[in-house]
Amino acid sequence: MAKTYDYLFKLLLIGDSGVGKTCVLFRFSEDAFNTSFISTIGIDFKIRTIELDGKKIKLQIWDTAGQERFRTITTAYYRGAMGIMLVYDITNEKSFENIKNWIRNIEENASADVEKMLLGNKCELSEKRQVTKDRGDALAIEYGIKFMETSAKASINVEEAFYTLARDIKAKTEKKLEASNPPKGGHQLKATEPQRKPTNWLSRCSLL
Amino acid sequence: MTNTVIVSPDLEALLQNGLNKSALTCLHCPSRILNPSVGNYIEKEFSLPSMTKQKDQTDIEKHPVKDFLKVADMFQFENVGFSHTADGVKYLTCADCEMGPIGWHDLQTKECFVALSRVRSS
Repeated sequence: MAKTYDYLFKLLLIGDSGVGKTCVLFRFSEDAFNTSFISTIGIDFKIRTIELDGKKIKLQIWDTAGQERFRTITTAYYRGAMGIMLVYDITNEKSFENIKNWIRNIEENASADVEKMLLGNKCELSEKRQVTKDRGDALAIEYGIKFMETSAKASINVEEAFYTLARDIKAKTEKKLEASNPPKGGHQLKATEPQRKPTNWLSRCSLL
Repeated sequence: MTNTVIVSPDLEALLQNGLNKSALTCLHCPSRILNPSVGNYIEKEFSLPSMTKQKDQTDIEKHPVKDFLKVADMFQFENVGFSHTADGVKYLTCADCEMGPIGWHDLQTKECFVALSRVRSS
């Protein structure tokens, strides 16, 4: 059977309970339909299809399914993960402080080159904000990862966040492929880092 | 359990060479589940738990469904959710609003089956 996609990326959503990890996967409404049966057994993972630079990319996205309540996630869950969305709630200081613990957990359990991204969710609740955007920025810089404030409720930046993470994984994957299959014939291109566009994650929490 | 087999919509209009003629979307939201010509029609009786909204009800009713589209590989879906394993299968849902079950996933054969009566042919 012909493959109908170019890349398949396994992504994880990680963060304290209540930060809205599950909600970032609802694109057309803020809540789930809440079928009795489905709510009882719960969702294991979702498959999403996106297109980047003409390439069809399948995202397999896993939620921690309550494991995060124990503040630790098992190695099995991290197996094969290529990208991790670290999610905190901007109205919950503790969830932000815990990001450091989650990063430690990832470093201990996940593959070293897993692509990470930080999301400050619920940015529509500005009157309840406990974590400034600058602190989110600073933490992301400290760990050398990208950062966005999102609102699953107001559909702000959620799609963009997934595209950004997928784009970074794709770039990394293609770089690896190139390294293992250097172009034949002609002269080898010097392995210089391509000029990267300055990333602008300073964009305020606004409707795009 | 009831004995009423859900009457399938007009198969002729939905299929072309045994494949889904048009894209499938969720009945509740605009999420696209499957692209055209990906699912193979198969007649197979299977009881799916009802899709009723959560209220106080505790027991889940199952309904026999017989018209399915078989999807050989889960990554052929555009957007879909997989439940945790229950009754020896994983149930399929809309990836966006989680309405379901819209079908099931066979853990042995890895095939997926989407109930024609539980999705919209756009």
